[in-house]
Amino acid sequence: MNVRRRSHRARSIGRLAHVHTSGNLEEQTPRTLLKNILLTAPESSVMMPESVVKPVPTPQVVQSSRRESSRGSLELQLPELEPPTTLALGLLAPGRRKQRQRLSVFQQGMDQGLPLSQEPRGNGSASSLTSSLNLTFATPLQPQSVQRPGLARRPPTRRAVDVGAFLQDLRDTSLALASPGDSLRTPVATLPTDTVLEDTQPFSQPLIGRSPSVYHSLPCLSHTEAEDAERAVSHRIQSSGPRLQNHNPGKPTQLLAGKAKKVDALAVSFPNNSSAVSGEDGVEPLQDGVGEEAEERMEESLSVSKVMATTGTQGSVRMEKSKGHREMTEAAEAKEPEGSSGASPELASSTTEFLQARQPQFLEPAPPPSTAVLSSEPLEPLSTRLPPRARTPGPRARTPGPRPRQDPHKTGLSHYVKLFSFYAKMPMEKAALEMVEKCLFYPNPFGSLDKYFQHLCDDLEVFAAHAGRKTVRPEDLELLMRRQGLVNDQVSLHVLVERHLPLEYRQLLIPCAFSGNSVFPAQ
Amino acid sequence: MAFSTTVSQRKHIKRKAPRGFLKHVFKRQKPHLRLETSGDLLVHLNCLLFVRRLAEESRMNAFESKCGVIKKEHVQAAAKLFFSPTQPELRGMKENC
Repeated sequence: MNVRRRSHRARSIGRLAHVHTSGNLEEQTPRTLLKNILLTAPESSVMMPESVVKPVPTPQVVQSSRRESSRGSLELQLPELEPPTTLALGLLAPGRRKQRQRLSVFQQGMDQGLPLSQEPRGNGSASSLTSSLNLTFATPLQPQSVQRPGLARRPPTRRAVDVGAFLQDLRDTSLALASPGDSLRTPVATLPTDTVLEDTQPFSQPLIGRSPSVYHSLPCLSHTEAEDAERAVSHRIQSSGPRLQNHNPGKPTQLLAGKAKKVDALAVSFPNNSSAVSGEDGVEPLQDGVGEEAEERMEESLSVSKVMATTGTQGSVRMEKSKGHREMTEAAEAKEPEGSSGASPELASSTTEFLQARQPQFLEPAPPPSTAVLSSEPLEPLSTRLPPRARTPGPRARTPGPRPRQDPHKTGLSHYVKLFSFYAKMPMEKAALEMVEKCLFYPNPFGSLDKYFQHLCDDLEVFAAHAGRKTVRPEDLELLMRRQGLVNDQVSLHVLVERHLPLEYRQLLIPCAFSGNSVFPAQ
Repeated sequence: MAFSTTVSQRKHIKRKAPRGFLKHVFKRQKPHLRLETSGDLLVHLNCLLFVRRLAEESRMNAFESKCGVIKKEHVQAAAKLFFSPTQPELRGMKENC
């Protein structure tokens, strides 16, 4: 058995040496490595498992010994241990060899629990790599991770880096994020830090584990992003712009590995943030292009913030003309002639290209008629608000009588009517808005003929009475929403609160534990 | 989740709940009942979701009729879904499907 393996290895060495002499000139790509391995892969033998078991207790021995000893006395055990050692030696400076060996040996030690199918490849790689020192770490890693998805830490981040790399290439041309092959090689150099920095995902399926891992790995970042998103609610874009800008220059300075995780988290939190800036832009069509859209939205937000800061009223007037996606095109068009944004004009042009490329996809109404409607559209909501205001002169009317009663109604209702036109994202007729108002509430002093609020109050009364109470409590509200189908087993009330209400209300509604063994609000 | 909790500032949509307005409406409707502190926030949430559903439905109606503008009949058809005497469960299922 020894003899056979030795002869086989000699054969493979000879073959590999031949390959290698020619291959030394060409660069070591994963493709050539795999080719070499496939060329020299030996047939699997039944004898392998027992011999493989032995290397588990001997990693420490191997650490001290280098190639010579491994090749000499420990031939039996070390066809699998050799590739990592040789790989490590081949790749890195001698100072780091011990680290690499330990890590690779540890991985090899973990691999011992592998099924038999792993052995031939390990053997092949071992025999092929005894003399070749230039093979990268990627090759044995990849087959192993494919076999064992639970330990597949690399592929998910590689996927993330692809998207992130693509985005970064668009935005930062200085940072040459090359092919994923680079991301394969760089993890070798930063492997210990990588495992500390970014791979905090649990040993779950990569697809499922990715999204929670993103949230786990960067709770602080997403929290700050959420904070920014919340602040953008109360303040204007200008305030959120600087914060986004702070994140933007912070990004290029990250490591590649760090960038992968950052971009991934940012790409996830970007939907929150970008929609912080651009509103709820058709969640469904956006979900496929979330990452890229988010990046562009961020750029748009930056440019939009700059435009608004510089142009002031002029920009605001132009901004008010459009909403939703159109605000992007307008801002883009407004940006180009003004050329006010000092930072990254090339980014602006790239984002405008992207946006204009995307506009036809997402905007069902054609742009030309929409621009015609747009001019009339700002008049409509203003006009709808004007007649009510004309009827009731301002919310601060000091006149007694029915007017003060009607004023807060109108202002309260108009709040929801405004929200309706915002959610619709389309131009609306005046009559349509009035219809909405009628749905919500009849401004009828003779009693309630409104539909929605009446139904709501009736239901709440019934629920409270059923519980024997005279006070409507949040449980009644939850029951109401459950009956409406808003709250079900998949979606809970807290989820809805988090989605749709601002942070301050969320704090009031959802009990949260604070320090000192206290829960607010008290249950 | 790709839902947005914040909004663009173009239309200056206030995210505050008109709590006084809601409490006033409730008092007017049911003077014998009381509404709890956080209850009106949930009422506001309900209103938000209602308005959102209404808007989505009317937008879909407008798309189906290939209009670029939401018209009154679109909103009316959408409102019919909500206020027709269907079972609330069916209504929920109709919306969620």
